[in-house]
Amino acid sequence: MFSILDEIGCYMDCISGSGLLPLLLTSVLLALLFFGIYLGAKDPGVRISSFIAAQLCMLASIGMIVSSMNCSRMLTIEIYTAYAILSTLLILFLPRIYYRILIKRYRARPVTELMEWPQVFVNSLKRHERMSGISKPAVYYYDSAVPRAFASGKAIFLSMGLLEIMDEAELRAILAHEAWHLRHNAKTPILRHISMITFTRNCSENELESMADKFAAKVVNKNAVESARAKLS
Amino acid sequence: MVKIDRINLSNEGLTKFFSPIEAQIMTVLWENGECATPDITERTGIPLSSVAGTLDRLVKAGYAKRIVDKSGQRVRYLYSASESMDSTANSITRKVLDSLVDTFGKVAIENFHTYSKK
Repeated sequence: MFSILDEIGCYMDCISGSGLLPLLLTSVLLALLFFGIYLGAKDPGVRISSFIAAQLCMLASIGMIVSSMNCSRMLTIEIYTAYAILSTLLILFLPRIYYRILIKRYRARPVTELMEWPQVFVNSLKRHERMSGISKPAVYYYDSAVPRAFASGKAIFLSMGLLEIMDEAELRAILAHEAWHLRHNAKTPILRHISMITFTRNCSENELESMADKFAAKVVNKNAVESARAKLS
Repeated sequence: MVKIDRINLSNEGLTKFFSPIEAQIMTVLWENGECATPDITERTGIPLSSVAGTLDRLVKAGYAKRIVDKSGQRVRYLYSASESMDSTANSITRKVLDSLVDTFGKVAIENFHTYSKK
């Protein structure tokens, strides 16, 4: 019969009896320290790296807890393992198919049917140092007057409403911004994944947005990023 | 959007059947024919953020239609009303009358007769 009190007692006994206790405490302390840095830092780069470091320490702590357990058939560990495996599969495989679902749902069409340059521009971003190593995303447009841009998997989606109101420089800034998100998602799915496994909310959305904007400002220019933002707000 | 169960008899004019923004947009389309998005925002005086979603809804519901115009430097939508104001009025009236006859039968029809005598 499952009893949460027995399980807690079991955790206490096994952890305090194992040689991993000092290491575990250190890693928990480090996680707290990195979370502290994350909360205190202003620079988006520092915030994201401290967030990742904190997450990794949390993950190491969880790993140590699980490996120090000697009790057999613990329901909490079994549930957690199933959750970790499922979320890993979801995070790794969902982005590979989800953008295809989006293309169908929005009845998106390749932007090259309207104009060539957005796709050429996105292809040219690959030459940029920060963009190397990812496959060229395809640019799509879809039928909606609401100005919106988003990216998923290997695709960037622009609404017709967005193409209507943005000038070329602003569109370039938006494309660079979305391409940065794709690159980030492709190279660091770990951030979202670990957040799921350690149960801490991924609170770095604002940092990601501002880093994507920084990249866009570097590739295009700051004015274009700002005027595109102003039009969308 | 025109839905029989949402007709608001206490409202004025077209807003009995459409939301105020929908009514303004449809009026612009009926009066001016083909319009680009900036024409609509200018003539209605409603900002794009409110107009865009409503235009999507009007197109989806079939009251307005749009084509993509690639002839200029930028691509743009050109909107027009799917039907003239008279035929839209006709279809709305039909819907309302059908609903009244469905609900009240003979009484409704007798009332229409007194109307036609006026």
